[in-house]
Amino acid sequence: MRVLIVVPALNEESGLPPLLSELRAVAGRDGSSVEIVVIDDASTDRTADVARDHGARVVRLCRNLGIGGAVQTGLRLALREGFDCAVQMDGDGQHPPSELGKLLAAIQSPNPPDIVVGSRYLQREGFQSTLPRRVGSGWLGWVLGIVTGEKTTDPTSGYRVYGRRALRLFNWSYPHDYPEPEALVLAKVAGLRVAEVPVTMKERQGGASSISVLHAPYYMLKVTAAILLAYARSWHRIEPRTL
Amino acid sequence: MQQAEQYWIFAAFCCVVATLLLRLVLRERITLQSSLWVFFSLAALVVLAVVPDLTTSIAHAMGFALPSNFFFAIAIGALALLHVHTLVTLSRTEVRSIALTQELGLLREKLDRIAREDSPGDPPRVPKPSRDGAPPAAPTKTDVLHGRT
Repeated sequence: MRVLIVVPALNEESGLPPLLSELRAVAGRDGSSVEIVVIDDASTDRTADVARDHGARVVRLCRNLGIGGAVQTGLRLALREGFDCAVQMDGDGQHPPSELGKLLAAIQSPNPPDIVVGSRYLQREGFQSTLPRRVGSGWLGWVLGIVTGEKTTDPTSGYRVYGRRALRLFNWSYPHDYPEPEALVLAKVAGLRVAEVPVTMKERQGGASSISVLHAPYYMLKVTAAILLAYARSWHRIEPRTL
Repeated sequence: MQQAEQYWIFAAFCCVVATLLLRLVLRERITLQSSLWVFFSLAALVVLAVVPDLTTSIAHAMGFALPSNFFFAIAIGALALLHVHTLVTLSRTEVRSIALTQELGLLREKLDRIAREDSPGDPPRVPKPSRDGAPPAAPTKTDVLHGRT
């Protein structure tokens, strides 16, 4: 199985070296052929050089596209180069490479889902995030459950594996505003199967979150509206048979 | 009479705006296609300013008691439409810009990879003419891709 690990990164020169070293150590243990690509989202530090020095492929974006645009770049690369699946993981060290095996095992199961989401709330082990974030995640999971009809415990998790059908879908269209929850809506409307796997996560090792406590309620409101709009829009645009 | 003079001033103002717009089109600061809509609106305003009775007739026909109310309602509606049109154009441009940025990034990565395979450990070579007048070495795959031939 050919696996492409996509690491979107913005000014992560301090967080990338330990992550890439650990990834190198654990990647391919199950016999898979693993490549790592860092999507440098127009960083102003040495993110690209650091990634290259640690053996990763580097795609440098000439302007900042945000997490959605960066991830879609990696997914497009995976689809074009014929990878069987693509793993999305953050470059700030929140997603331990040691958990990668669980996600890849799920996507290689006999009846594999199209998307595997690593959930930190399924077994409640490891770093559980702050209370406001947990409340927010619970709310978004509830909204997603109503919209898609399936329970989602960690809708904002960015630790995911995409199979070939998901790669084709997201090559065509990937949400840019609030990509993680919106992508689940898109996948559901397209008829893709999404599964959650329990993983442990860590606190971010570097950089700062783009969502402050003051902005959290506004963020929740926007994401809720985005989920509902994404659902309405997807029904108009998606033709599942083409995937 | 006083009212007609004021309208002529407004018509002249519209013509000045149209001239400024035309200059921007000629300098290729804005495209003709995107500015046509504004040209037509200005032309309509000039007609209404020059023939005020026409405004009154249309306003009454559409149920407006005062021509000024009709004028402001049309202006607000036109500005709202213009805003939506601008939003659509901006969004389309943003989507294309994102796609182009991604393509550029992917192509650069491919180019860098080919360059490293072509001359591992060395920076890409640039063919230079030799001192004895011999033709430069045949361009490498990297040179071709970088447009150095």
